[in-house]
Amino acid sequence: MININNLSKSFSTLEVLKDINLQVNSGEVVVILGPSGSGKSTLLRCINGLEELTSGTIEVSNIVVDAKKSHKERNKQIKKVRLHTGMVFQQFNLYPHKTVLENVIEALLIVKKWSKNDAEIKGETLLKRVGLIDKKDVYPSRLSGGQQQRVAIARALAMEPDILLFDEPTSALDPELVDEVLAVIKELAQDGMTMAIVTHEMTFAQEVADRIVFMSDGVIVEEGPPEEFFSQPQTDRAKKFLKKM
Amino acid sequence: MDVIWVNLPFLLKGAYYTLLITIISMFFGSIIAVIVAVARLKGNKFIRWMARAYVSIIRGTPTLVQIIIVYYGLADYGLNLQPLTAAYIALSISIGAYLSETLRGAIQSIPKGQYEAAYASGMSPYQTMRRIIFPQAIRVAIPPAGNTFIGMLKETSLVSVITVTELLRSAQLLIAQYYVYMPFYLAIALMYWIMSTGFSFVLERIEKRLSIYD
Ligand SMILES: Nc1ncnc2c1ncn2[C@@H]1O[C@H](COP(=O)(O)OP(=O)(O)OP(=O)(O)O)[C@@H](O)[C@H]1O
Ligand SMILES: [Mg+2]
Repeated sequence: MININNLSKSFSTLEVLKDINLQVNSGEVVVILGPSGSGKSTLLRCINGLEELTSGTIEVSNIVVDAKKSHKERNKQIKKVRLHTGMVFQQFNLYPHKTVLENVIEALLIVKKWSKNDAEIKGETLLKRVGLIDKKDVYPSRLSGGQQQRVAIARALAMEPDILLFDEPTSALDPELVDEVLAVIKELAQDGMTMAIVTHEMTFAQEVADRIVFMSDGVIVEEGPPEEFFSQPQTDRAKKFLKKM
Repeated sequence: MDVIWVNLPFLLKGAYYTLLITIISMFFGSIIAVIVAVARLKGNKFIRWMARAYVSIIRGTPTLVQIIIVYYGLADYGLNLQPLTAAYIALSISIGAYLSETLRGAIQSIPKGQYEAAYASGMSPYQTMRRIIFPQAIRVAIPPAGNTFIGMLKETSLVSVITVTELLRSAQLLIAQYYVYMPFYLAIALMYWIMSTGFSFVLERIEKRLSIYD
């Protein structure tokens, strides 16, 4: 599903990702852990082209983005990749001038050119799935953070992506709102959705992950099944990280 | 007072031209503003430089001088514009510069996350601008733009110098006829005030309607 080879990423002189190799298989849930500044967000953002690669290749749903290709060529590929990936942000990033339902169906109308009627039916189905159908005509500012994030998940699902990327989906939430969002993500996992999740919620990580990827200073230091990672971390850096949690 | 009542139709006609010039210049000025704001934010080096020069020149020179250049100055090169046409052109160019700055600031105030959400969902930069960024920026820009429009309404009095018979010049023509100043000047001051207040009222209504999502 995702195949990352020798990916490096620098911001001017700062090398943030160093020779990353990572596969995510269809139906797999990969949780990315690591200390602040280790490059987790940057890795996710490289996958859907919000950051440009400095070198290496990323393959998503058989579409290859190669850092060596021309700018134009890469942009063409990134545009395709984005049709196969959905992203959920820490700050939700809902469109404040659109209602909940409009947020969910916007890309269906504009990018996929669905009819309004079809899009609304699909949007309503998704809002039911995240438990927010009664809020469909409300503007995001009227929702709690947890509700906003569930709308953002519905919005990402609307495009029927092959894989969902989550960048700390609960970090901006009040503690009492975290569970409702995690519950939705767990349900998606049960339904077999392929996901790459960056999170600081360790219990959740342990429950939902098929595989843990641990990053530090721009490299993947360790990866493996959650049972192993949490009970017997192999590297000092992982041990130190887990102790702090 | 009688001189006012007798000449009211004439003054109202002047007020009509004041409004007409304001609205037409607002309309074309807004179009210029959108183009220039986008040029400054998205254009290549040369286009950005051009847009900046335009804004700087217009904001750094008196509107009166701009009006005179368009009407009298261009006539030197055989371009003889109707006074009203010259007024539309000069004022549109003038207001466009101020509005473009307002709009540019408003566009820049939209958080980066809005672009990222739109791009991540597959929208092109143009679609993102049109559907996500612009509608939000317009709402941010409307209160300051409203002030610019009201300022504009008052600035239209400047085009009296190129013989456009708007409200101020209507009064001046009547004064030349009757040899009294105060009644006419007070009357037009009142009419300017009524129009400005009316404008403010309309703008407030628009602001309210656009703020439903807050
Ligand atoms: N646009 C940017 N320009 C310059 N440096 C950046 C940029 N984005 C990220 N960085 C730097 O890259 C490094 C990795 O950042 P990244 O956001 O990927 O870390 P992270 O693992 O997601 O951290 P956190 O847990 O705090 O979210 C950091 O040192 C950060 O300062
Ligand atoms: Mg991060």
